[in-house]
Amino acid sequence: MTTRNLYHSKPAQWAVYGLFFVSIALIPAFVSDGFLLNQFAVYGIYGMLALSISLCWGFGGILNLGQGIAFGLAAYGMAMTMQMQSQDPESNPIPPFMLNNSLEHLPWFWQPFWSTGGGILLALIVPTLFYVVFGTLMFRARVSGPFFAIMSLAMLSAFATLILDMQPYTNGANGISPPSPLSVFGTDIDPYSPTAYWIVCGLLIVTTVGAKLFTQSKFGLVVQALRGDPERVRFLGYNVALYETCIYAISGFIAALAGCLWVMLIQYVSPAQLDTTFSIGMVIWAGIGGRLSLLGAILGAFLIQGGQSYLGDQFLATWLLMLGAFFIVVVRFLPKGLAGLLEKVLGALARQPGKHARPDLPHAISGAPAAGE
Amino acid sequence: MGVLEIRDLHKSFGGTKVINGFSLDVTELTLCCLVGPNGAGKTTTMDLITGRQKPTSGSIVLRGDDITSLSEHEIAQRGIGRKFQVPAVFRELSVRQNFEVAYSREVNPFRNMLRRRPAGFSAKLDEVATLTGLKDRLETEAGFLSHGETQWLEIGMVLMQNPAILLLDEPVAGMTESEIEKTIVFLNELKRTNTLIVVEHDMGFVRQIADVVTVMHMGAFLAQGKLSDIENDPRVREVYLGEPEV
Amino acid sequence: MTSLDIAPFANALVLGLSIASIWLIAAIGLTIIYGTVGVINMAHGEFIMLGAYTSYALQSSFGLPFLLCLPASFAVVALVGLVIERGLIRYLYNRPLDTLLATWGVSLVLMQGVRLIFGSDPKYIAVPEIFQSNVEVGFASLSVFRLVVLAITALIVAGTAYLFYRTRFGMQVRAVMQNKEMAASFGINADRVYMTTFALGAGLAGVAGSLFGVLAIVLPTMGTAYVVQAFLVVVVGGGTLMGSVAAAGLTGELQSVFAFITNDTFARFLLYVLIVVFLRFRPRGLFAVAKGRR
Repeated sequence: MTTRNLYHSKPAQWAVYGLFFVSIALIPAFVSDGFLLNQFAVYGIYGMLALSISLCWGFGGILNLGQGIAFGLAAYGMAMTMQMQSQDPESNPIPPFMLNNSLEHLPWFWQPFWSTGGGILLALIVPTLFYVVFGTLMFRARVSGPFFAIMSLAMLSAFATLILDMQPYTNGANGISPPSPLSVFGTDIDPYSPTAYWIVCGLLIVTTVGAKLFTQSKFGLVVQALRGDPERVRFLGYNVALYETCIYAISGFIAALAGCLWVMLIQYVSPAQLDTTFSIGMVIWAGIGGRLSLLGAILGAFLIQGGQSYLGDQFLATWLLMLGAFFIVVVRFLPKGLAGLLEKVLGALARQPGKHARPDLPHAISGAPAAGE
Repeated sequence: MGVLEIRDLHKSFGGTKVINGFSLDVTELTLCCLVGPNGAGKTTTMDLITGRQKPTSGSIVLRGDDITSLSEHEIAQRGIGRKFQVPAVFRELSVRQNFEVAYSREVNPFRNMLRRRPAGFSAKLDEVATLTGLKDRLETEAGFLSHGETQWLEIGMVLMQNPAILLLDEPVAGMTESEIEKTIVFLNELKRTNTLIVVEHDMGFVRQIADVVTVMHMGAFLAQGKLSDIENDPRVREVYLGEPEV
Repeated sequence: MTSLDIAPFANALVLGLSIASIWLIAAIGLTIIYGTVGVINMAHGEFIMLGAYTSYALQSSFGLPFLLCLPASFAVVALVGLVIERGLIRYLYNRPLDTLLATWGVSLVLMQGVRLIFGSDPKYIAVPEIFQSNVEVGFASLSVFRLVVLAITALIVAGTAYLFYRTRFGMQVRAVMQNKEMAASFGINADRVYMTTFALGAGLAGVAGSLFGVLAIVLPTMGTAYVVQAFLVVVVGGGTLMGSVAAAGLTGELQSVFAFITNDTFARFLLYVLIVVFLRFRPRGLFAVAKGRR
């Protein structure tokens, strides 16, 4: 039985979030190796994805196994934008891989990507719009729970198939690798520079604060209520499908943002970004970290992806096996993940007289990012 | 003048007629009890009024406004609040949060994203929390409430909606004697300012709250009137033959 | 239309039937597990994969003939399913999303476990010579093995239908599905029904696996190729046996016809989009298991 304790105190939560933001913002001060910094920025993107999953699955109860749709489509949009930055409208208008596939004209849907601003805007808007349409179709029909999860997974696999199939326009399985870094307002953003790191870090902070404020608004409260009992919410006068579509689309938008940043850092995109394993991986990050805690989900992503790259490819099979087993344990015994464990511990401490729970809190949480990074 | 007018309602499930030409007028500021033997179609009628199911034919009019074909949330917005037979509250949220969700004056998701405390909420919360006796339980998670408290919470949630009509489906099911006593006082207070329809089996309870009693039988209207008249109606006696309460 | 036009179209229809039988045999275990136990088993693809590896291992180390590998795969994977049901799934019956996730964990463990034991290189299952030849079916030409798959699928559907609609066990299953408490008061052990059904569903996935191991190659990741289709068959069908048969027939034929008009991959995309639209109008599938609330 959990009682309200320090874990639920809003000032304490914001303090811990603040501490987390400061610690990730300070990383470039201690890390000078560009490759390492780039790697950390990529973790930040994984954190953003876990955040988006926490919003729709944790808070809204909508298990989305196809978050790679937003991430992947946006990544393609960004890669197309960056690719067109290296093309010249007069002398060299067609990307090399299209020439290899004997295309003579730039396809119409590539045209808008001549404009950097327009391209990035499309990369963000198209996936979000897809989420709005798909969400409206599914939620209005009251498709929910496992059925929705399966349908999101199927849609993801459909998109991956489509991109693979449109070889001349997307370069199929090889993907798109823009030759030069993203350039905005005439300056290149070197993916290995602190600037790139700070862009990612800044957007991670903005999305996290935004998501946190969302969950604390009346909207967030209704979303949490419909996770438990959508029918009851409906009889209180709320359009449940609309609320579900909103939270799903917001989560998709954050994933799309992550997709854009990912290509900015990696300069590459392929159908692998729409792989089902990757999308379900996001759910595992959020599940282990704690789907009901935005920060918990982010730290879950850091922890798991950090652990995976620390061990390296050599032990990948063993690592994944352990991860699977650990995930089973979490689902079975810790439905609220590691954050839920902290909630329980703090609850237990609060009930013990003579012990002060407060000094333990920042310590207990701030220990986690250190382990992940 | 009827607040709610139900005209010639029919509902069948694959050939089985569950509601068969049921009509009902509910007068403003009265408490109408809907009674009838098991399978008379009381809960189905509730479902049809609130839009959970759609009638095969017939019409439901709320204050001159035809609501027959509207969806659940639209009907709720027009002022019909419903308390379910099995209490349905948000168990993971605190009592205060339950009330806050139920305070559904603003249902637009985009406006609700920007708002944390809706206007007029605190005053209403204070009023309803006092009325339902949950004032010092506001921070408790609803899942930890006793059965009686959960029933009260749900009645409170319906009140937070500020509905034109409250539909209560077996509000005292599973309550203790003293809780039932409290509910009787409460409902008699409530009907001075609200219009209510209560589905109930317990005739003793009906006797103490009802202004009007409507009897349903086999999905149709059987009789309506004061309880004393109803109890002497030979048709009602026939329907309830063998039922000890009448 | 001349006969020249009809021939390839008829070919597509026959091919569609074959695709349908493959999807159906992949989905049938999933169907009875979902329909009876209400569990979305994400490890289903890995049960298929285990079936293929069982056949491969038995064949390569003991020289077991292929036709005997089928029941052996059934037994081995059913046992694995039994262990997983007893050790994990039964604790999660009232948490549908959590079972989905936990079984995903199981799938990860099984896939990586097999990879550690057998390695990542492809394995092959040998079949009798006669299965490898082609046969003319009307306008169409089909490999004998695909006909074998079709026949085995039909047998399994008939067998499962008999089991669920004509036997005492089937009656118990339907009683438990309708009302667990009521069934319990008549002395039906729901726990045991769930356990048996889960093992049975797993075993059927094993059979599908050893057939797929012949149709394609045996790899630790092979299950993922079938699992999405299998799920869609269940979703479109609504979780009943007959629903899955109809859904597999419909989607298999549509896939084949779309592929005839465009190509394989674009056909798959079209089919998935069509299913989304279909669910908009029939969210519970073709033949839904009726479920009331409150």
